[in-house]
Amino acid sequence: MNKFNKRDGNTLVKIFIYIVCIFFAILSLWPFIIMVVNSTRSTFEIQQHAVSFIPSSFLMHNWKVFDGKSFNVGVGLKNSAIIAICSTVLTIYFSTLTAYALVAYQWKLRNAFFTFILCVMMIPAVVTSIGTYQFMYRIGLSNNLLALIIPSISAPAAVFFMRQFMVASFPLEILDSARVDGSPEFRTFNQIALPIMKPAMATQGIFSFVGTWNQLFLPSILLTRKELYTLPVMVSQLKGDIYKVEYGSVYLGLTLTVLPLFVIYFALSKYIIAGVALGSVKG
Amino acid sequence: MKKILSVLLALLMVLTLAGCGAKEEAAAPEQGGEKIAINMQAFTDEVPGMFNKFLELHPEYAEKYYLNDTITATTDGLYQPALDEALQAGEVDLYVAEGAFISKYSQGDAAAFAATYEDLGIDTNLVKTAEIAQYTVDIGTRPSDNKLVALGYQCNGGVFIYRRSIAKAVLGSDDPAVVAEALGAGTGSWDKFWELAEKCKAAGYKIISGDGDMWHAVENSSKEGWLVNGNHLNLPAEREAFLDQSKKLVDNEYHNDTTDWQEGWFADMKMSGTALGFYGPCWLINYTLAPNCGQDTENSSWGDWAVCAPNIGFFWGGSWILASKDVIGTEKQQVVADFIKWVTLDTDANSLQVKWANGTLNGEGGTPDSVASAVVMASADGTTDFCGGQNVFEAFIPANKLANGHVLTQYDERINALWRDQVKMYAHGQIDKETAIKQWKDNVAAEFDVVVD
Amino acid sequence: MTAKVADKKRGFSYAKYGYLFVLPFVLCFLVFHLYPTLRTVLLAFTDCKGLGNTSMNFLKSDVFANFTKILSDDVFKLSLKNTAILWIVNFIPQIFFALLFTAWFTSKRNKIKGQGFFKVVFYMPNIITAATIAILFNALFAYPVGPVNSLLQEWGIIEKQYDFVAHPTSARLIISFIQFWMWYGYTMITLISGVLGINPEIFEAAEIDGANDWDVFFHITLPNLKSILTYTLITSLIGGLSMYDIPKMFNAGQPMNTTLTTSMYIYNKAFSGSYLYAQASAASMILFVLIGICSIFVFLSMRDQK
Repeated sequence: MNKFNKRDGNTLVKIFIYIVCIFFAILSLWPFIIMVVNSTRSTFEIQQHAVSFIPSSFLMHNWKVFDGKSFNVGVGLKNSAIIAICSTVLTIYFSTLTAYALVAYQWKLRNAFFTFILCVMMIPAVVTSIGTYQFMYRIGLSNNLLALIIPSISAPAAVFFMRQFMVASFPLEILDSARVDGSPEFRTFNQIALPIMKPAMATQGIFSFVGTWNQLFLPSILLTRKELYTLPVMVSQLKGDIYKVEYGSVYLGLTLTVLPLFVIYFALSKYIIAGVALGSVKG
Repeated sequence: MKKILSVLLALLMVLTLAGCGAKEEAAAPEQGGEKIAINMQAFTDEVPGMFNKFLELHPEYAEKYYLNDTITATTDGLYQPALDEALQAGEVDLYVAEGAFISKYSQGDAAAFAATYEDLGIDTNLVKTAEIAQYTVDIGTRPSDNKLVALGYQCNGGVFIYRRSIAKAVLGSDDPAVVAEALGAGTGSWDKFWELAEKCKAAGYKIISGDGDMWHAVENSSKEGWLVNGNHLNLPAEREAFLDQSKKLVDNEYHNDTTDWQEGWFADMKMSGTALGFYGPCWLINYTLAPNCGQDTENSSWGDWAVCAPNIGFFWGGSWILASKDVIGTEKQQVVADFIKWVTLDTDANSLQVKWANGTLNGEGGTPDSVASAVVMASADGTTDFCGGQNVFEAFIPANKLANGHVLTQYDERINALWRDQVKMYAHGQIDKETAIKQWKDNVAAEFDVVVD
Repeated sequence: MTAKVADKKRGFSYAKYGYLFVLPFVLCFLVFHLYPTLRTVLLAFTDCKGLGNTSMNFLKSDVFANFTKILSDDVFKLSLKNTAILWIVNFIPQIFFALLFTAWFTSKRNKIKGQGFFKVVFYMPNIITAATIAILFNALFAYPVGPVNSLLQEWGIIEKQYDFVAHPTSARLIISFIQFWMWYGYTMITLISGVLGINPEIFEAAEIDGANDWDVFFHITLPNLKSILTYTLITSLIGGLSMYDIPKMFNAGQPMNTTLTTSMYIYNKAFSGSYLYAQASAASMILFVLIGICSIFVFLSMRDQK
């Protein structure tokens, strides 16, 4: 009797837990469902009934309106992709190199340097934005994607992440044997250390990609030519033409900007979730 | 790991393809030869559209130049920072400014970027022969050297644009004379407006859609602007009175409490809308009422409109065109100068203003618009189906005489937005008057280099 | 040559590679991060203003004029208050639900099925562009006709449409909710991994002692999560105090600047209006010092309790 009661209580608790979980799952998905469905509906339909789960037939119409805007979503995708991919590659490579220097070698300023990186991590971009802005204008890098790519060579947070990973699981003995074999240090890094770091690089790569893909503040002050606009900058202007609001096309525009991220996320969700865990356990 | 790489690679390819395949307009001229880009910053597609029309009419220019336009809407104040950055980077040849911020670009902080008509090689005597509305010339003249740098193509005197069916329901007639009388046309006061508001309410309607409709009439009929004596912040009595006027609208439910340029406001332009009318200039019909009236749906209000003289003289908005001083002496100078002349000063049959006034720029059937040249206006036909066959110029020509630019100051766009934010809160009983005024002053001082007394 | 080097004592001869390999990082940092930062610091002591103006004259009579101006500005104080409110109102439920889900998902007694699915879905909003999310929520809360208003009316929760975006409290709540909604999944996954990292023997011992779920969570799990909680708190604090994208794109500070964050204040001062670069730099420095003080405070208080 007693035991039965306990199990009964457990079942109730479990049902409660499932209800809460499902509620939150719906909460996470609901806005996106509205967004996708409304991108197929006409402005008139949206004004009549803002919520509907039945797609309508105005996708092409909304696309035409959206495509008629002065900016080109294809260009935005391309620019965002160039910035995100180049920055990610630079960030991963140089962060790993820097972290390698921190772990594989003994040098005098090593600890000081690491503390320094920790401090630098705390400076948000907005704090230094005015200096960055004036500097980029002075050296003629405004309206140049390089202004958003090159600085990612030094990404303190990525170095921190890589170092934590390396300290925990990098076999330093392997370097000694490479040295005995006469491998130059730089080649040892590229051919032996890098492959070992792959899992951490993949995780950090995803974070860097998503982070640079989504950034709004710097691109919006450094890029003024529409051929260089990134997707978030375009999104920020999506409410756009105030003389005639086309809600269907606004929703469609939002959907288009989210789509690549959805694809990446659901294809790689396993790695991403594991990556978040990886990054923080050691933090 | 392989999976990650392959997905990323596939994505990269898709993106690159999307980027290349999407629209070729920017890339095409480069392939076609040595075409030169004319870079334009604008806040609507209107002036870019004119430039393309200009190239169409001038094949000799079309061979050599193409338009590279960047359109940033004025929503949330995004346009000015974008334009400022582009000017600073030297990325602009032509740019467009609106009534709410033209004086910054022609007379204020950013006036130094503009090329004068003289340097462009445009004959400024044409201003007289075309009889260009004087206030547009005044605003477009740079005080530092007293030279003309900007002109528009419109004249933006405001009228009351109302729904015929609602006027019939409220007043028993849709005759402009009857509505003008009921509104107190020409009285220069709001007394009759409130009487009419009560009548509308009794009949189950609202006199206007939101307080923004009233604001533009208040703003531009005030005797002083936001800034006086250079950069001293000023609160003109008429604009201060708007606090209580807006509250009265809310308290008595005289309007639908919509916000201009937002969904509810656009909804009131359709047949199912319950607002009697909108205060506005001719462009409000062309850009806002006509495109949002639900034409070709069962909810269309096309043809159910008319215009009449307003109770108070005002003007609102308008676009001025400027050229960057950097084009002087370059191979772009001639085309830029000719375009500006064609838009702002020409009055022949092929000129922009003639086409614009008659609504024929993009073929027959467009709505007519009130233009800056009185010579053109004298011969233009303002009859439009949208207003049930009414010749709207009958109302706009007298209204244009009341338009003047002396209250415009360079930070109007943002200061207006900050003021209306406070007014809205006061009207809805969230704050008292002193708080509203204090907060407004603080907010302005936080963003602008102004003296707050 | 290399073999000879390898023969030497490790830790001495290879040190130069340590310096060599951090060189790209350091160079890039000096040029693209440190220099702009120092420039911002310097600007705070000048009179630099006006569109595109980069020439600076150091203030002579009152060196701290920009700082006193900012510190006496009611709008700046309001922006700090807003930022604090927006962050705290988001962080408390965020950490609460993250801990709750962590407790549920790691509980030995209630094996929750579909955990993988829930984790993926809970974390998803975090990867989406913040600007997109802000505009999406702005559209969802549209007034008078919008998805949320429609639903609430259909369900009979409200009678008349409510202008959520135009009321200070609701506008702040929505922005805090968006932050919460974007970040609770991230925090949850972080905490779960923290729990999984705790030595399982401790839990087993507790079970043998007859501790219930409640005891285990409060007396074993939480104390062991302390370092991860500190990490979460500090990163969330830094992110929260420099919040920009969401409030900016949601309603640009309205109504009455009650959702104006300090970052937006800096943006408005430096990149619009009269382009008051020097004053904005001073505001940046104040924000930076505040972030530093808060982080150190959190760090020390979490450590002292040990």
